[in-house]
Amino acid sequence: MAAEPAYTVASDSETTGEEKSSSPLPEIAIGIDIGTSQCSIAVWNGSQVEIMRNTRNQKLMRSFVTFKNEIPTGGVSNQLAHEYEMLTGSTIFNMKRLIGRLDTDPVVHASKNLPFLVQTLNIGVRPFIAALVNNMWRSTTPEEVLAIFLIELRVLAEVHLKRHVSNAVLTIPVSFSRFQLSRIERACAMAGLHVLRLMPEPTAVALLYAQQQQQTVHENLGSGSEKNALIFNMGAGYCDAALTATAGGVSQIKALAGMTLGGEDMLQNMMHYLLPEMDNLFSRHGIEEIKKIGLLRVATQDAIHKLSFQSSVQIDVDLGNGTKICKVLDREEFEVVNQKVFEKCEFLTRQCLQDAKVEIEDVNDIILVGGCSYIPKIKNILMSICKRGELYSEINPLEAAVRGAALEGAVASGINDPFGNLDLLTIQATPLSIGIRADGNSFVPIVQRNTTMPARRELIFTTLHDNQTEALIIVYEGDEKVVEKNHLLGYFKITGIPPAPKGVPEINVCMDIDASNVLRVFAGVIMPGTQHPVTPFMEVRMPTVDDGHGWCAEALHRTFGSTLDLITVKKKVQ
Amino acid sequence: MASAFSAVAPSCIRFRPQPPPSRRTSAAYSTAERTCTSTTTAQIDDSQTSFYQMLGIPMGATCQEIKAAYRKLAKVLHPDVASPLSPADEFMRVHKAYTTLSDPEKRAHYDRTLFRRNLRRPSCVLSASPSYSGYNSRRTWETDQCW
Repeated sequence: MAAEPAYTVASDSETTGEEKSSSPLPEIAIGIDIGTSQCSIAVWNGSQVEIMRNTRNQKLMRSFVTFKNEIPTGGVSNQLAHEYEMLTGSTIFNMKRLIGRLDTDPVVHASKNLPFLVQTLNIGVRPFIAALVNNMWRSTTPEEVLAIFLIELRVLAEVHLKRHVSNAVLTIPVSFSRFQLSRIERACAMAGLHVLRLMPEPTAVALLYAQQQQQTVHENLGSGSEKNALIFNMGAGYCDAALTATAGGVSQIKALAGMTLGGEDMLQNMMHYLLPEMDNLFSRHGIEEIKKIGLLRVATQDAIHKLSFQSSVQIDVDLGNGTKICKVLDREEFEVVNQKVFEKCEFLTRQCLQDAKVEIEDVNDIILVGGCSYIPKIKNILMSICKRGELYSEINPLEAAVRGAALEGAVASGINDPFGNLDLLTIQATPLSIGIRADGNSFVPIVQRNTTMPARRELIFTTLHDNQTEALIIVYEGDEKVVEKNHLLGYFKITGIPPAPKGVPEINVCMDIDASNVLRVFAGVIMPGTQHPVTPFMEVRMPTVDDGHGWCAEALHRTFGSTLDLITVKKKVQ
Repeated sequence: MASAFSAVAPSCIRFRPQPPPSRRTSAAYSTAERTCTSTTTAQIDDSQTSFYQMLGIPMGATCQEIKAAYRKLAKVLHPDVASPLSPADEFMRVHKAYTTLSDPEKRAHYDRTLFRRNLRRPSCVLSASPSYSGYNSRRTWETDQCW
């Protein structure tokens, strides 16, 4: 069983790889919900999920790290004297929006007016991110910031549980690429945490819902028939939708959809609305500008929060040098300014329903979670799409994800509950398609999005040129037709294709995703009429790319043109 | 077209230099999967269990029964709950059976081929037909080659 295949290439960034599926560990994994703006941590305490509190008795902790002194401190342990302290240039936040993104990414560009330094050169490498410490820019990375924060969370858990904590289940946005997931794993490894599972946020909520449904069935001795729930999760950074079919403690994810869209976007829109010349004013990024943008940010954020509960709000903020904003903002204005955001929310929800092939009438419950779930417009959109007058109310919108993660932590650690409360299972689906570049510059999916995991799919390709002896397998993840619009995961070369006319050699590309979401890509050559693969199948664990990968595809194209290209053989089989 | 590929598939598996452990068989294994997925609805291996048998349900099972059976099996076979060394293949087969039977169109098609298969007697010898398929032919292969 231990024999290794002849060719295995594992990426060096995969520090937490093989152990993932090792034997059940006696230690109960903790659940961590790392939000763009807030984090929380929970654990199965033997009878139920318990959310841990920090020394200030907070269940929800702000996600930020301050680089003021020698030792950076995060929002778990650090007491902010005032909200504004977060905006002096020395504090990095929104790392979840920045992690695993290149300096060509629009999301990174939109982060440039955060009150710390985000600099982009548009060359396809990681952006330059820095905190202002003693008037000097101290560079950092989203992984480092996240790791510092995770260490604080781990220490909090260790104090609380009076034991060493090493295993964790983390929630992640649906739209995260596998490259971004590898960055999260890297941050966890830096913080001494072993990632047992990375769970898309709405699927964690789905698991919590499955447990609640099962308990209800137990209490009522009911039939336990299947229930469909639409879960919509919107936080500060990301927005996700999922449709889950639940019965008997099994949550089957029928469809997932997600995008980088959240409260941060609404905040940026409102800031631009209140101060249209904002970008020009803050382009210099000096200490004064950072302070100004901080003031505007806090005032706007405060106003948005209030508009969830009242119809209008007075904004009064003095940015200095005669720039003053004095305005009454009403809810309708807020909704008009953010119309595009709300349209995208609606689009995402409809796409999820469509992909799940579930009729609106068959949706039993609508679950709205995340910080933005308090926004009346979001509630209205969901209720109007589903033609319903009310939302599921048994779930705390801010705790749902972390509770689900803690449940999964217990289940995945092999913990049993005598009352059957952990008799749960999530059958996950792939949020994004995975495929390769072929047929010119097209993305040819091999594993379609919303495929149930574990999964194994393959396609046959062939050579584009006569006597082509090598082929390049470039793996992408996403759902865009044009290949560059998807996320590059890695690439490798198939060599030793026997000289033959074009279209004759069969290049078999297979993708395998196991239950812990590890992706392996296999490729090999079979000549028609022969019994053997020409060379042993090559097996590569993805992703293999690193931070500077933005220019890879372009460089490959420049170097090889179409000489190593592949085309699909026929209509794909699955 | 499909038969050309399938002709290759089983043999290439058979001659793989080292029959790898279950988790690593994917490339070779999948060759069989492809054969299978491309022909599932068209051909079903004669001597082996049907999707219905795989899920342990009668041919006339209702949609509810199919779902319930699938869930019950998932709770045993899914790699998250099954023994860590057990391969995902068993669950994937059950899932394939479930997706086929829970889709009315696919189920109707499958039922027709199943019916035709039952009319034809097992005259076709497995190894003589290069394009044979179905899960259980694969299962046989696994037992022979892998474990």
